Amino acid sequence: MDSVWRFFSSVKVAVYLIGITLLGATLGTVYPQENTFMNIDPAVYYEATYGTLGKIYYMLGLSHTYESWWFRTLLFMIGTSLVICSLDRVLPLYRALNKQQIRKHTQFLSRQKIAYSGDLPFEGLQGSGFTEEDGARWTEGMAKQLRKMGYRVHTDGTALLAEKNRFSRWGPYINHIGLIIFLLAALARGIPGWHMDQYVSVLEGQTVKIPNTSYYIKNQKFTIDFYTENEMSEKFRKTEKEVPKLYETKAVLYKCTAVCDNASQDPQLEEVARHNILVNQPLDYKGLMAYQYDYKLSPVLISVTPTLKNKETGQAYGSFTLNMGKPEDQYTAGEYSLKLKGYFPEFGLDGKGTPVTKSNEAKAPAFIFNISGPGLAEGGEPYIYFPRQVDKVNFRQDDLNGKLAQTLDISVDSMDKVKFAEYTTFLNIRVDRAIPFIWTGAAISMAGLIMGFYWQHRRIWLRVDGRRLTLGAHTNKNWFAIRKEVSSALEKTGIRVNAKILERGRQQ
Amino acid sequence: MNSTYDGSVFLLIAFVLYNLGFLLFVLTITGKKWNHGNPERHERKWGRAAFTVSAAGFLCHLIFFFNRWYTGGHIPTSNMYEFMTFLGMMTIFAFIVVYLLYRTPVIGVFALPVAVIIIAYASVFPGEVQPLIPALQSYWLKIHVTTAATGEAFFAVGFAGGLMYLLRSVNYAGETAADRKEQRWLEFTLFFIIIIIGFVGSIFGFNAAGYRAEFHKQVTVQQDGKPAEITEKSVYVLPPLIKSYGSEQIEMKPFLGMTEPILGQTPGWMKGAQAGRKLNTVIWSVLSGIVLYALLRLIARKPLGAAISPLLKGMDGEDLDEIGYRAIAIGYPIFTLGALIFAMIWAHEAWGRFWGWDPKEVWALITWLFYAVYLHLRLSKGWQGKRSAWMSVIGFLVVMFTLIGVNLVIAGLHSYAGV
Repeated sequence: MDSVWRFFSSVKVAVYLIGITLLGATLGTVYPQENTFMNIDPAVYYEATYGTLGKIYYMLGLSHTYESWWFRTLLFMIGTSLVICSLDRVLPLYRALNKQQIRKHTQFLSRQKIAYSGDLPFEGLQGSGFTEEDGARWTEGMAKQLRKMGYRVHTDGTALLAEKNRFSRWGPYINHIGLIIFLLAALARGIPGWHMDQYVSVLEGQTVKIPNTSYYIKNQKFTIDFYTENEMSEKFRKTEKEVPKLYETKAVLYKCTAVCDNASQDPQLEEVARHNILVNQPLDYKGLMAYQYDYKLSPVLISVTPTLKNKETGQAYGSFTLNMGKPEDQYTAGEYSLKLKGYFPEFGLDGKGTPVTKSNEAKAPAFIFNISGPGLAEGGEPYIYFPRQVDKVNFRQDDLNGKLAQTLDISVDSMDKVKFAEYTTFLNIRVDRAIPFIWTGAAISMAGLIMGFYWQHRRIWLRVDGRRLTLGAHTNKNWFAIRKEVSSALEKTGIRVNAKILERGRQQ
Repeated sequence: MNSTYDGSVFLLIAFVLYNLGFLLFVLTITGKKWNHGNPERHERKWGRAAFTVSAAGFLCHLIFFFNRWYTGGHIPTSNMYEFMTFLGMMTIFAFIVVYLLYRTPVIGVFALPVAVIIIAYASVFPGEVQPLIPALQSYWLKIHVTTAATGEAFFAVGFAGGLMYLLRSVNYAGETAADRKEQRWLEFTLFFIIIIIGFVGSIFGFNAAGYRAEFHKQVTVQQDGKPAEITEKSVYVLPPLIKSYGSEQIEMKPFLGMTEPILGQTPGWMKGAQAGRKLNTVIWSVLSGIVLYALLRLIARKPLGAAISPLLKGMDGEDLDEIGYRAIAIGYPIFTLGALIFAMIWAHEAWGRFWGWDPKEVWALITWLFYAVYLHLRLSKGWQGKRSAWMSVIGFLVVMFTLIGVNLVIAGLHSYAGV
């Protein structure tokens, strides 16, 4: 245990850990990682795309470097090192800073990087030589100068300790605490329910359930917009590039209140949020986020409102609305009633010539009605209706309907009676409960960095023995500034020294 | 939006002023001997003039920046050209900050050329104002990119400081193996910088001459899950010495009697349709770098490091060491904020995750970790002087790879910032 502690407490080990992590991280950027693709088989993809090197890359597990056990272990070890290094150093530092000696040993002073020693260039006031009171008086004068520079000064007769910005010493530790919180928060995403990441595709007009939640999301309308020519600079226009300006999903979020998991019945939905989702403006409802991820052009019919007519006289009996997603069992048009006998969203014929539907998307919809009313046989007559003109011709609707096609007609008068969906939007649905902690960690870490780097802990010690002044000064960075402060304080109390020669080892 | 005046003349003025400022800083240092008897006065007078000229350049650069912002309708940090000119501007800013802290003219001799090269490099990229794609339509474009670039600009000044320290401290009279090794590596670093100048110079020259060649290659891509054949175009600005494996020559202006790539095609494992163009650029850069280097060697008649080194002999080594370190210490929190924290906030807002191990993100993290190592070694292990200086030089290479290399070589989500 002790040796483990010592291992992680070493800065050298920490530096190695960071270095190895750094090198390991570069490996993952050689080829795209697996998670950048929606649906590939990595065992095939890397070899097919990058050849033998790609195969080796995949076999070494580098196609998922950042999820690999060794990379995770490295991050975990860095976290451990952060905790142990900080614990090991912060208490001794606290003790050392809290109980400081004012009168230091002369050797300690002259060993400092910034050091000065020399006789005070004054005569004693009493004319009877230099007394301790003279020394104390000079020390007081020096204390005044240093206070003006923002130092906190403690004196003990002829000894002095001046200190400023001690708080900056805590900067590195606060930074480390922030990083630890950050790493813990990232780890916490493993808690069930804290993290969700999935994609839903929603056709315009459609409402879909968000899997594993009680929420439903509707795509009212998807818009894609391109920059017009006069929004471009003259030079750019010449490149003749088309640049998208906007991807937008008008979304409505519902919460299911009853009948949620019953396939045969519609769920009861209650609207909870409404938002125009843009790339940089996700929908956010109590931490459930919906992001604009992608879109697809997917023209399909949503509904048509045809009119039942007498083909000979042109007389309109009435109209009704056919919903492609969920048609009703019965419709009425004037005196006629249309019973839905069969619905084929994507009509086709199988090998035996029986009508089937190829999919559930309304790509080539067909409706088989049983129409009853004046002039028709008792019990009704069958009628097949293809809303799309192209299907009507291809599948020969009039031939299929036989004699009835000569007297009755179902058709739409104008395009406003047809509703199309043009786009499918892809939304990325996410929940990340760790986010507030992530930001907290980042903010604390940032505060620590600022404290540690933009302020420096500066300390000046001095003592006067007889007439002899010995001074030492220390800072953790920015020696340049403390040198200037020391020399200017000395100068104001009557001692002229060049800032440069204050530094030990330069006094040649 | 329709303004035909994009203010690039101000960038040109700034560029000229930076070069002038650089020359004045060089004269500030070298000219000390002219003014017999009073080198300090010379340094003060010329140093002030050099700084004033550089600051005036910065002002023009600011005018260029805000003018482009105004006419373009969005902050000009949205493509490689705009980003690199901005980085150059912030490098000057970082230089001004560090200069005001230390008042040492020699910083100008090294920091200004770094900025000049960055701005010259920007000119390689297409400079027209592009409309903002939806992913970039966020106020985080202003915040994230500007702070990240500011942090990196301080690293650039740290790099200049490190290079200065090395040029001053490497013993050019030394004959020992260790001295030789240092001399060689430092010379190699200078050579590398000259290659970049060669690269910028050759693109600039051939662009101005209107050179063009075009090659096509059939490539297979995945479209809706099915493989599809498409033709990928590759347009060369530099005369092609080499073409992509299996590509077809469409157009090539003769260059010195050369009508087809004399080096043939790239090896088979370099698959991409643009691989030939990229390799060609590398070959041209190295060739022009070698020519330029040879010329400079001929003039100097000794290794370039040995020629520059005496300029710095008067400088205090510890001051240089501290200047380089201080620039990095100022830059590190800014870089953390801009390139990691703001980046994460934006990524959370735009992509739904604060971190996705995208190559650009990974390289920003690598840069951050590298400087973390630098700081720990320096603050806890007492790595100062040469070792620290070498690290600040390498660190900036990592920064440059993150900014440029990732876009050119790796791409990923940030690929819109590429060429």
